[in-house]
Amino acid sequence: MAQSPSRSGRPPIQQLQTVADLLETPALAQLYAYILQHGPVTVSEMIDELDIPQGTAYDYVQNLETSGLVEKTSEQRPYEYDAESIALTLSTDGETQTITPALIAAVARRGEDEDIDVYIERHGLDGLAVALEYAYEYVKGSVNHRITARELDLSPLEAEIILQSLEPVATEYADAST
Amino acid sequence: MKTVYIADTGVFVRCGGPDNDKFQRLRRAVRQAGVSLRIPQRVYEELGGDPVADEYPSGTIPYSNGFEEGWIIVTDELDYTNSLVSTVMDEARRFIANETGRDEDITEKTDTALVGLAAQLLDTGEADHVVLLTTDKPAGRAAESLLPQHGFSGSVEFRYVSVEYLETITADAFR
Repeated sequence: MAQSPSRSGRPPIQQLQTVADLLETPALAQLYAYILQHGPVTVSEMIDELDIPQGTAYDYVQNLETSGLVEKTSEQRPYEYDAESIALTLSTDGETQTITPALIAAVARRGEDEDIDVYIERHGLDGLAVALEYAYEYVKGSVNHRITARELDLSPLEAEIILQSLEPVATEYADAST
Repeated sequence: MKTVYIADTGVFVRCGGPDNDKFQRLRRAVRQAGVSLRIPQRVYEELGGDPVADEYPSGTIPYSNGFEEGWIIVTDELDYTNSLVSTVMDEARRFIANETGRDEDITEKTDTALVGLAAQLLDTGEADHVVLLTTDKPAGRAAESLLPQHGFSGSVEFRYVSVEYLETITADAFR
């Protein structure tokens, strides 16, 4: 099952392809997350804000535009872009996971935050998605690293490391989680 | 007034990372103020208990330098025969279970060790004011709401240790 309410009208499997690209390419995910949070924005604003080379930024924006995740909101130069929120729910063998903009933003941080990168290496993207759910609770104060550690079968230290790493994303996307 | 500072695992994780700037800043602040950070036994065990954590940049924390320099002190095991300590820890377990929507029996002694240590320091007169430096919001709230019920009104302060807190910390935080 894959569901994605989409203004772009892209069918789910095609969106899956784009989302897979986002999850595999932290810089692309970073760009998408930035446009989603701050759009409408111009490419030069993105280059100023994010540490992405100019050529890459233009390529990636075009890439995102082609896949329908990002669209031009002005017809005059410099073009401004805005992003569309995605929620792609995947189910396999009774396990369900939703790929949200917050998860993409978390993945986007793996380039700058090596703790997130190590966590993904060890627990996969599914593990990261679960940890992100705990990070929302951690920000709200309805869980701590000790309970997280027991429930996710991590050491308390590893739990605290990933919760702190995901705290900025969970804080930024807190409203979207409820 | 004798103020004692208790630090939790999250403080040291927050200090982690390749350059350890925040650790050095914390070290300077604590030493300039001429105080020390107490850590419960169980926090000490959490910090050193997982070799896997070495894979993470934030898992390599030079906290043991703090023992040698004397500004981080591991406290003795809590005195569970002290009835205030055991009562407050029981209450804290219920409080944390309630805050987190968990069963009471899934919370463990580590979860309430900070609160227990605060109770012990106040009860024995070793401190008349306790500051809890932690990222464990349920435990921080438990300490702030439970200890006043045992006659220690205004004696406990919970400080959430955010990135900003450590990035701007000076000796003033400990005066």
